[in-house]
Amino acid sequence: MLAIDARDVAKTFRSGVLRRRETVALAGVSLGVPRGTIFGLLGPNGAGKTTLLSIFATLLLPDRGQVTVLGHDVVREAGAVRRRLNMASGNASFVWALKPPEILAFYGRLYGLSGRRLRLRIDELLEMSELTAHRRVAYNELSTGLKQRLALAKALVNDPELLFLDEPTLGLDPDVSVRLRERIARLRREREMTIVLTTHYMREAEQLCDEIAFIKSGRVLARGTASELKRQIRIGDVIALRLDPPDAPWLADMAGVLRCTAVNGRIECTVDDAEKRLAEILAALHAEAVVVKDIQVREPELEEVFVELAR
Amino acid sequence: MSWRAELVAISAFARRNLQMASRNVFLVFELLFWPVVGVVGIGLMARFLQLSPEATSFILIGQIAFSTVSICQLDVAYAVLYDVWSKSVKHQFLAPIGVRHLTAGAWLVGILRALVVFTLLAALGWWAFGFDALHAGVVPLAVFLMGCCLTAWSVSVIVCTLIMLFGAKAETAAWASVNFVLTLAGIYYSVAVLPTPVAALAAAIPLTYFLDAYRAYHGFPPEFARPILVGSVLAVLYVVLSHWAFVAAVRSARRSGLLLKLSE
Repeated sequence: MLAIDARDVAKTFRSGVLRRRETVALAGVSLGVPRGTIFGLLGPNGAGKTTLLSIFATLLLPDRGQVTVLGHDVVREAGAVRRRLNMASGNASFVWALKPPEILAFYGRLYGLSGRRLRLRIDELLEMSELTAHRRVAYNELSTGLKQRLALAKALVNDPELLFLDEPTLGLDPDVSVRLRERIARLRREREMTIVLTTHYMREAEQLCDEIAFIKSGRVLARGTASELKRQIRIGDVIALRLDPPDAPWLADMAGVLRCTAVNGRIECTVDDAEKRLAEILAALHAEAVVVKDIQVREPELEEVFVELAR
Repeated sequence: MSWRAELVAISAFARRNLQMASRNVFLVFELLFWPVVGVVGIGLMARFLQLSPEATSFILIGQIAFSTVSICQLDVAYAVLYDVWSKSVKHQFLAPIGVRHLTAGAWLVGILRALVVFTLLAALGWWAFGFDALHAGVVPLAVFLMGCCLTAWSVSVIVCTLIMLFGAKAETAAWASVNFVLTLAGIYYSVAVLPTPVAALAAAIPLTYFLDAYRAYHGFPPEFARPILVGSVLAVLYVVLSHWAFVAAVRSARRSGLLLKLSE
């Protein structure tokens, strides 16, 4: 069952009065996000990730195409969709002079919470976000990490079935990012929430996402689990060797070896198929009387897939 | 949406405006300094020119109306401007609310603040210049204040519409629009002195009629027939039209992406 079903979604931004400029943000994106999954949208800057997320969240109207979110059309039934989703951005910002409980109360009321139910919800969210100690601090005096936690708490105020996270760990210290990622993973686990997130951090995507879609120039270039993507893109496996003598430039000329690079005293050979080429390389090294001191075979990193796709 | 949910959403904006007002040091200037300076300045000018008590009341009514409408309309404009200034516009439009909640909630606080300002200025006018706001009784005064607040509603909703169409650069309209409207509506003069095309514009402004009706109770012959009826019809018409314009502007901002740009 799909939480989001997008078909042929297109969006072009127009600006300027005398000199009309057009920027194609989405050029016919079709995508399905299964319920209860964490779905990652990856892509370089300006790829159209935030635009797509904003259309899903009813903040932006598409020029073309159809988007159904939790069974409702995002254009014709936007109100029904809005009740059941929420969003947090990495660069989120709230009214500067309000304190965390006041911000949560404001948005809670917009979702129909009031009285004791609202108070309990605010306390629960402050506690969950470890913001209780900062409840009397004005928003503009909170640190970036605390602001980010508050943004996530606000996004949970209506207990959404679908949560959009736009670069949720942007600009955070590594330890804060790790804790936030744990919290996101827990949300899916404990509440069976569907989460769609955009991120620049490949490790974050690999660690959190059940499925990933790569977007570039407003199109989905590839889609699948992290390992499926690595296989799909076929940028090759890596055989890393520590040799004595350390150099063997002729390796790059062997059949099936796509390229060889020297990295920290090792040679990393990208090959079309490690299973097939490993034995051939070892045999060649043995024939040349080169001693293999250490050997590692690994799949390419998601980051390498990203770089390949973003080219 | 149930009635309860409607009221809760309206109360969200009313509470937020109150919270922000309570933390705004400029509130003292907005509520006290400028309105008081205005009334004192106009009252002293009337004394210097040796105006009659009726003429003094005439121009003081204009000055007090100016402060009352300004304060009331600013609250509604603030409900959007707080989010524009803090770049959080998208969060409130992500929620399942309509623009009616935003305008109604902020307008209620606007009315409250406008009543405080009016009471203060009326008391000052009475003490310093002998102006009696209750000269005609409570009902005409209440009708006049209703006219001020309804005019403030439509002016401020048009300001919100402009912000949704043109972004933060339209925020000066929040302060400029009320000056424009009051100038046309006859702040210190009868609209009869306006050039014909401008007088036609003045006749389209509800406040023109409410000022005319209220001043009539202070000894000035009315310019218009049935000013309260015409003023009320116009006021309601503009409330509906401005609401519709704001809804259309938010939809346009969702289409153009301005809603997101205001949040980045």
